[in-house]
This record gives sequence, structure tokens and C-alpha cells, in this order.
Amino acid sequence: MQGKAEIHEFVRELLTNSGDDQPLADSDSLLVSGRLQSIDAVEIVVFLEEKFGIDFAQIGFDKEQIDSIDAIYALTQTVSNSN
Amino acid sequence: MHSGEKGYNPVARNRRIAGSIHISGEPSADEGGRGAEAVVYHTLRETPWLGNEMAAQMKSAGSMRSLAEFRLIPRLETYPRAVSFAQTAPGKVALLAAFALGSRYFLPDFFSTLPLTFILALITFMPEYRRFILAIAPIVFLVLKTFQDPLLLGASLAVIALGIFLYWCVMRWPKSRFGQRPVLYFLSSFTALILLACAVPPRSLLDLILWALVGALASYLWFICYALADRNSTPARDLTLEMETFHPVWGSTNTPFPKGAAYLRRIEAQNPEQLAIVQLKGLKLLTWAILLAVSQNLWNAFFHGYLRIPMPDQALAMSVQGTPVAWHLRWECQILAFFEIVFTFSIFGHRIISACRMAGFNALRNTYRPLSSTTLAEFFNRFYYYFKELLVDFFFYPAFLRYWKKHRRLRMAFATFAAAFFGNSFYHITRDWPIIRDAGLWKAITSYQVLFFYNAFLAAGLCVSQLRKRKPQPASFFRARLLPAFGVGFFYCMLNVFDADERMYPLLEHIKYLASLFFIHF
Repeated sequence: MQGKAEIHEFVRELLTNSGDDQPLADSDSLLVSGRLQSIDAVEIVVFLEEKFGIDFAQIGFDKEQIDSIDAIYALTQTVSNSN
Repeated sequence: MHSGEKGYNPVARNRRIAGSIHISGEPSADEGGRGAEAVVYHTLRETPWLGNEMAAQMKSAGSMRSLAEFRLIPRLETYPRAVSFAQTAPGKVALLAAFALGSRYFLPDFFSTLPLTFILALITFMPEYRRFILAIAPIVFLVLKTFQDPLLLGASLAVIALGIFLYWCVMRWPKSRFGQRPVLYFLSSFTALILLACAVPPRSLLDLILWALVGALASYLWFICYALADRNSTPARDLTLEMETFHPVWGSTNTPFPKGAAYLRRIEAQNPEQLAIVQLKGLKLLTWAILLAVSQNLWNAFFHGYLRIPMPDQALAMSVQGTPVAWHLRWECQILAFFEIVFTFSIFGHRIISACRMAGFNALRNTYRPLSSTTLAEFFNRFYYYFKELLVDFFFYPAFLRYWKKHRRLRMAFATFAAAFFGNSFYHITRDWPIIRDAGLWKAITSYQVLFFYNAFLAAGLCVSQLRKRKPQPASFFRARLLPAFGVGFFYCMLNVFDADERMYPLLEHIKYLASLFFIHF
């Protein structure tokens, strides 16, 4: 669960930077709910590329994949298992 | 049906950047405020019932909170008794009647409100058949609307069938070259079709058929793109939901409202309580659209009727003719135009989204408080949300995820230009395909010089906006909000000088006009 904590911390930082101090649950919607914006989605993509080696150009991209901490974590697990 | 508008094509102003004035009292808690959250989230955890990109904005409002929480239109969906009533048969009838009456404001007669109201009534009383009804209704409306033009009807039905077929292919062969990049192949094929249509002898049968296909495809282009992009989402593979997003009954422009089936799946009401809540929100949004429309009429009567301030295109025309209006009038009409687009886009977007909500989908608003934006990128997002999403989904992300990965700033700039310049230009050129047909490809392209400049100007602004590092917000309201918002408004006021759908004057005339605002004449 090390990776999940790292993801949580990163998302928390993004939210704080955008003025969102509300509680953050791992299942909370981030993008579809509007808590984060498209530019934040870009930050998450870059984070996942750099930290977890995910190549969205290869696996395909949908915002749903990164819409919650749970979803992001599941994505990292799927990619690491397939590698 | 669609947007239900006659003689006005709001897409023609897609490039225009303005937004709705946020007047305190706008029924916005459903999207921006946290007040409604407790009521909504406890039942609708997994759907974005509150969501908007702006949700975080209100949180830091501090002393502005009490003002921001004032509402002209009460938050009906937070009243348990209202929600309960809306779930009863009389409540449903009352909601539908109120919606029909409200829609009448925008339509020529009451009869025109009946088709959509009828569909909404079916969905409201038989929500289990929602997807089926919404999938069939657009086809029925299409047939009723175009049965007197067999070529158009045939081409449109062929395009719908093609969209479904391509969607099936993508699902069937996801690993194929087409399955991996279906939108790219589809848009490339459409471009090739236009080129082919340009190449055949004019006024031949083939010419007629090809341009009919181009027209029908242009109309459904982005709807099919969303269906093809749906391959990545889960759970996909619901053909009825894909079909209902092809020019849905609640209306749309060439830009799909609200996006595609993947998005609809996430925002669909799952039980009677959710349906009641979202329908109440739809009714509120329609009410807000009516209030804005009334305000717009008063605005026009005062500024353009009583004060006789010209419209920007009139001021530009007079400048071109060598009889420019006074400099202060040029500024005034430029500033007024900015706010007028605010009204126009808010009203048409709210109308569509209100109907979408009445159908049981809790879609985000198209326009949401753009004047509170403190950056150009934020404004672009708030002004025409679904158009921005289209550009982001089909141009920004594909470019960002594939190119210049090792150069972060270049990567961002490239993707921004791919969306705001290339995507934006492509959208408008393909939307306005009759110009290509009538004037020929090269003349049509050259007639877009002002559009290209506009898009380049916009892309450059967005680029700078996105590449600038976020700084901690200054404490004062003036520096944190007012000054940046003023800067954003100024940029888009200047940008609007190049917003010319009429293509009457060359780029140089627009540049001269812009320069004349700053007392530079050449």
C-alpha cells in the first residue's frame, strides 16, 4: 500500500494547491466531480509516468482511470501486473 | 428538436470566449457550493452530482461566502419535502408542466414544447425505459424533420449506421490499428472525404451524394468521436446509450452536450430520489436561463436601443469604410460584446443542460461563472465547458500523451496548440463545410485567415496561462481576484476583435481596428 499513500499525498497536494481543504477519501471522485481540473489531470498523468512508468499512449487514456485515488491505484496495479 | 433554436447557430460563436456573469443568486450550490453537498452526496456518492471544475472555488471565498450563498432561486433540491413531492405522480406532472411552460419562453409557440415534454414525460414515468426512449427518440425526430429531403435523411441515417458500425468494430477489434486510434482514423477519413468531394466534377450525382455525406458526417462527427473514444471507459458496451448521444433529444450544437455515453453513464439518476433531485435542478437551471434572457433583452434595449452603442461588427465595418465611430464607442462596444456573449452562451447552454437534467442526467453546466476566472485557461474552461472538453479529449490529451515527453514545457505548449489552434480550427472548418463546397478548398481556407489568427492568439494566451507556475494567492481580494479577473476579461475583449464568423474583411482590417483602440492608425 506504499504506492497508494504516495498517490494520496500527491492528490492531496494538488487539491491544497487549488484551495481545496476538504477531507479526501480514496474513493472520492476528483475530475468528474470537479474537485480537480483538466490541468490537474495532466499533473497526475505526469506523476504516473514518472513514478510508475505508465505510458498512456500505449494503454489508452480515459479520465475515469484517474478519477479517484482508488482508480489510480488500481491502474498502477494493473500496469505493474501486466509488466 | 436539438437546441430548439431557429435562425441562430450558437456554434458559430464557439471560438468566442466570454461567459456568464455570476449574479449572486444564481442557483449554483448544486455545482459550486458545498451547501448542497450533504444532501446530495449521501445518496449519490458514486456520481458527480455536485461536480464541476469550479467546486473548489467557493471554498476559499472567505468573507464572500455569505454573499455567495444568497440565491435568487431557492435550492429546491435540498428541500426534503420538495424532493419527496417530485417523486409523486402530481409532483412529476407539476415538474413537467413547469418545464414546458418555461421552455415556451424560448420557443415560438406552446405546441413547440410538446415533443420534448412528451419524451421527458415518458422518461419520468417510465425511467426503466429511459435509455431505450432516448435512443429511439432522436431517430424519430430526425425522420420527422427531414422526411421531405430524402437525400439528407438517407445520408443522416447512413452516418448513424456508420457510427454504430465503427463503434462495434472498435469494441470487436480493440487491438487493431483502428481500434487503438479510432478517432485519428475517423477524423482523417472525414478529411479525405472532403478532399474527394472537392475533386469530383461539380453538380454531378456523385458530387451531390458526397457533399450530402459530408454534411451529415459533419453534423455527427464529434458524437461519433465520443462513441469511439468510449472504448477506454468502463463499463462500456451499451449500444442504446451510445445511440442516444448522437444528437440527443435535449439538444446540442455540433459539440456533444454533455460529452458522450461514458459521461452519461456516470451521471445517470439511479433511483426515484436521484431523478427527483436532478429534475429539480433542471427546472432551476431553466428558470435561471429565463432570468438571464430577460436581463439580456433589457441590456440590449438600454445599451443598443437607448444609448445607441453599435455592435462590434458595425463598428468594424465603419472603420473599414473609413468612417470610424468615436474611440470611446469602439471600446464600449468591445466591452459590451464581451458581456453579451456571456448572456448568449449561458442561456443556450443552460437550456440544453436543463433539458438533459430533466431526462435524468446530472450534467455539469456548460457555462459557469467565467467572470470569476483568474487565469485565461480557467476562463476557457468555464466559458464553454463541453467545447473545451472536446478539444481536450480529442486533441490535447492525444498530443500530450505521445509527443515531447522529455520536455515538459514544450510538451504542454505543443498539446495546448494542438487543441486550441489545430483542434479549434479543424472544428470550425469542418463545421462550416458548405463554404468549402461553394467557394472551393483553397478559397475557403484563405477565408479562414482571421479564424487562424484568432486561434493562434488564443492558443498563445492559454499556453502562457498554463505554463506559468501557480503562486500562492495574495491575501487581498483586489490582488487575488479582481485584478486577475480584469486581466482575463481584457484579453478576451481584445481577442473578440478577431471573432468574425462573417469573414467579410481580411485579417489586416481586424488588426487595424485593434490598433485603433490604442490610437495607433496605419
